[in-house]
Amino acid sequence: MKPAPFDYVVAASADEAVQYLAEVEDGTAKIIAGGQSLVPLLALRLARPSLLVDINRIPGLATIESLSKTSIRIGALVSHRMLCEQTTSPLLSEAASWIGHTAIRTRGTIGGSLAHSDPAAELPVVAVAAGMSVEVVSPSGKRTISAEDLFVSTLENSLADDEMIVAVDAPLPERWGFAEYARRHGDFGLVTVAVAEVGGKIRIAIGGVGNKPVRALESEALVNDATSLDTQLTERAARAAASAVTPNGDFHGSASYRTGLVEELVGRALRQLALSRLSAMENWS
Amino acid sequence: MTEIPLIEPEAERSVGTSVRRKEDYRFLIGRGHYVSDLQLPRMRHVAFLRSPLAHARITSVDVSSALEATFVDAVFTGGVEPFKSVTLIAQSALPSYIETAQPILAWEKVRFSGEAIAAVVAGDRYLAEDGAELIEVEYERLSPNVTAWSTPEEPLHSEAPDNVLLERRFLSGDVESALANAEIVVERKLTTNRHGGNPLECRAGVALFEPGDGTLQFWSGTQVPHIVRNALAELLGMSEAKIRVVAPDVGGGFGTKAALYPEDVALCLIARQMPGVPVKWVEDRAEHLLAATHARDHRYLLTAGFASDGTLLALRADVTCNVGAYSVYPWTAGIEPLMAGGLLSGPYRLENYDCTVRAVATNTSPSGPYRGVARPASVFAMETIMDEGARRLGMSTIDIRRKNLIGPKDIPYKMPSRLVDDSGHYERCLDRALELFDLEDFLREQKRRKENNEPPIGFGVACYNELTGLGRAASAGPRMPFRTGHDACTVKINPDGAVTVFSGVTSQGQGLETTVAQIVADAIGVNYDDVEVHIGNTDESLWGFGAFSSRQAVIGGGAAQLSALAVKEKVINLASKLLEIDGIDLTLRNGEVRVVGELAPRFSLAELARIAYLESNRLPNGIEPGLEATRFYDPIRGAFAAGVQLGSLEFDKKTGEIRILKWVCVEDAGRVINPRIVEGQIAGAIAQGIGGAMYEHLIYDDDGNLSTGTFMDYLIPTSAEIPEMVIDHIECPADNPLGVRGVGEGGTLGPNAVVAGAVADALGILVDQLPVTEGTIWEGSR
Repeated sequence: MKPAPFDYVVAASADEAVQYLAEVEDGTAKIIAGGQSLVPLLALRLARPSLLVDINRIPGLATIESLSKTSIRIGALVSHRMLCEQTTSPLLSEAASWIGHTAIRTRGTIGGSLAHSDPAAELPVVAVAAGMSVEVVSPSGKRTISAEDLFVSTLENSLADDEMIVAVDAPLPERWGFAEYARRHGDFGLVTVAVAEVGGKIRIAIGGVGNKPVRALESEALVNDATSLDTQLTERAARAAASAVTPNGDFHGSASYRTGLVEELVGRALRQLALSRLSAMENWS
Repeated sequence: MTEIPLIEPEAERSVGTSVRRKEDYRFLIGRGHYVSDLQLPRMRHVAFLRSPLAHARITSVDVSSALEATFVDAVFTGGVEPFKSVTLIAQSALPSYIETAQPILAWEKVRFSGEAIAAVVAGDRYLAEDGAELIEVEYERLSPNVTAWSTPEEPLHSEAPDNVLLERRFLSGDVESALANAEIVVERKLTTNRHGGNPLECRAGVALFEPGDGTLQFWSGTQVPHIVRNALAELLGMSEAKIRVVAPDVGGGFGTKAALYPEDVALCLIARQMPGVPVKWVEDRAEHLLAATHARDHRYLLTAGFASDGTLLALRADVTCNVGAYSVYPWTAGIEPLMAGGLLSGPYRLENYDCTVRAVATNTSPSGPYRGVARPASVFAMETIMDEGARRLGMSTIDIRRKNLIGPKDIPYKMPSRLVDDSGHYERCLDRALELFDLEDFLREQKRRKENNEPPIGFGVACYNELTGLGRAASAGPRMPFRTGHDACTVKINPDGAVTVFSGVTSQGQGLETTVAQIVADAIGVNYDDVEVHIGNTDESLWGFGAFSSRQAVIGGGAAQLSALAVKEKVINLASKLLEIDGIDLTLRNGEVRVVGELAPRFSLAELARIAYLESNRLPNGIEPGLEATRFYDPIRGAFAAGVQLGSLEFDKKTGEIRILKWVCVEDAGRVINPRIVEGQIAGAIAQGIGGAMYEHLIYDDDGNLSTGTFMDYLIPTSAEIPEMVIDHIECPADNPLGVRGVGEGGTLGPNAVVAGAVADALGILVDQLPVTEGTIWEGSR
């Protein structure tokens, strides 16, 4: 269980990093940040990049900036542990606390997690629910991709071979909820649900039930059309979410069990959202 | 005013106290020495090419590209000498046992996914793996079979066309008529989940053949170095005198390292082909999950009859064990089925017993010994029958057990499998466990939750007996060409009076250096700190079978006690002759020899040792120099250790989540040598048992691919999943020199039954299949 041979370079800037990516013609260069997903894939020889571009020493990518009262900008190298510890976005703090264990959270980064695009990981689900977008650079310039457009399929994203995520723009939800069920503490969730109200609109994203985070559009319509999020409506929205997903079953849980989890966890997340106005208001005072 | 003692000082006692473990300092400062730490000049690294297919004929193995690579030192395959003619054949004289051969490197066919086909030697492991990728193997696929209770299309071994390697019937009394007279007859079909030991340190070995003197050294993370040396000598055609096996610090074993593996033999064969070059293989976790021994993949078909008062009248059982592709060396494919059949009735009185057990080969990794050997599964089976009997008769699950437990008045109790139970202290364990558990309080809370529609709780109970320290009679069952009843120990008092022990025991973290030192210190009458214990080296200790069957405290400890007493006798004899005082009037305590009743010592042990080794001019006539003794111990039978576990669990029907609220274990360890070590053993064993009950599952798909090939999918519980435990002991000394009973495995025996019992109690869901997961709870609650 040792990686196949690869070349390795340390990039001093984002521009240099994408230049390295562009120089490898067949697209087999890979960025390494915290390495928490990539290194196991290397060790199992499931990933065989020709070149690893280490971005850990690029300055300025490990900070969180406040853009406005309603959004923050998170550098690609911000670790899960930093997300846990910041208080501006309680949703990100809560979601990041569910990622792996202390060692993993210390090394793993938000840019890495989003670029890895694991449909069961916490941050992609939160990114879709909160309507985040990523800023990417390439030798030909910059562009912004919404989280929903970033995730294409399991471990597949819409980044070009020479593109790199440098920052995440994260709207701060007025209200939010997060619920996950994992078999053990620190495991990927069987089902992960994030709900976020941004600009008065609630979005519901579900992880672990498809090849990318799935929005529960019918449930969103139900809760956004209603005036108040009462028990009955929450239950209806949860049921609607469950009937909209088609998870695959495996030995960790059957399809019907996962569907049942969706209903329960969407309900829990929405109830948390309904209760979270008070604390959100406090944050802004 | 200080009181002047009128009598000689009390002896310091080490046994029974939690002395500081001798091993811990080096572990804590990072100076433990494991096989993977070993660095030798000219060392080379080995990677194995493993079969991606579960069942196939090998039509060609092309190693030419690998040999052409400049970074590859050597490539070895199974179809050529010296590999071709060496096979592992586990032997048993049981009439129905079919001997089959396991190649060192597969060359005719592969029988499980992960079986080693070739070995590549290179400067480091990375390069060796690169080399292994260059080997091209062509296969002709054969139909694989991974389930022991489905009909195979293509047998694994031509010697066993139906894949059955062993079948044995245990028969006692008249089950037919007992069932006919029973008030109720219960039937259950249960399957248990394949899982394994997964020690923190995977397998590892370094082999070095020294051309200068023709010796083979093998450093191995093995639990059984003497067995390994014995087997290697036979397999390699070498003299045992030319082989040294060393088990340095070993990071967990749990039975997984009690087998001799093809990879071990391959390393030694490679070393002989590359004289003077040490070759190292450190197994990684992916290899371990694929190719180290698995266990507990069983099916139980059970029929039991109870009288109206709850008395168990008869038990009929059909037990099938999936033993994987090969008969594990040297224990044989019988290890699990024979244990399951021999101890199925557990701590319960039973006269009428008809049990057929069989070992069935499949295209999966071989099954072997794993902490508890079959009994976590068989206790689950037996306790399920008890719970079912109670439910049908409207009794409590506690009362039905009380009705049937073997009691002190029944001892010695001949079980229907003819094993003899020497314990009978089950009800005492049960009483104490219930007291610590507070059943009344639990029942109140259970009722309260029911009334308030809160998440339900349930409680489960497991009573079990662990057959430990098997002597020559008790270890005769599998009819292997050896009996594992004895161990040796050498105790030597050095010229400075300190003690060095060469024990045949081995340690994989259990702290045997400590335990043996405690025994020897007390037996001679010296301080614990003055005793050094050397283990795990076949050149140093005379003989020891090693760590398995919870045998070492009983047998290795017994040998340590006997040899220490023999040395003490030599010391007393020497002092007696020197003082011209009868030995009966002398004491040896805290390293000092006194005349009974005198305050001042006549000799220190150091003075006597100096005379024994250095001052032969002072040696009395008829006394030979030196202070040393070697003794063997064999308990002949075994020591049964009683155990009871109780747990309360909470269930969330909406997510299926299972939370363990309380876990109580009371065991009879006989006389406890080191309370903290004993409790560590029990707690660790319960944690592994909970892993097996709720998380750990090695799953093969129908093509024979292991679906749970990494720790992403093979779930081992972490400290977050394991509850605080309440552990207590009753101490009923066993009939051996120390009065001890083994405790290494017992903890694993309870959790399956406790968890399943709690599920039934809280939710009315009958568990027929392990593990119990959130899925079980959720689906069952629909």
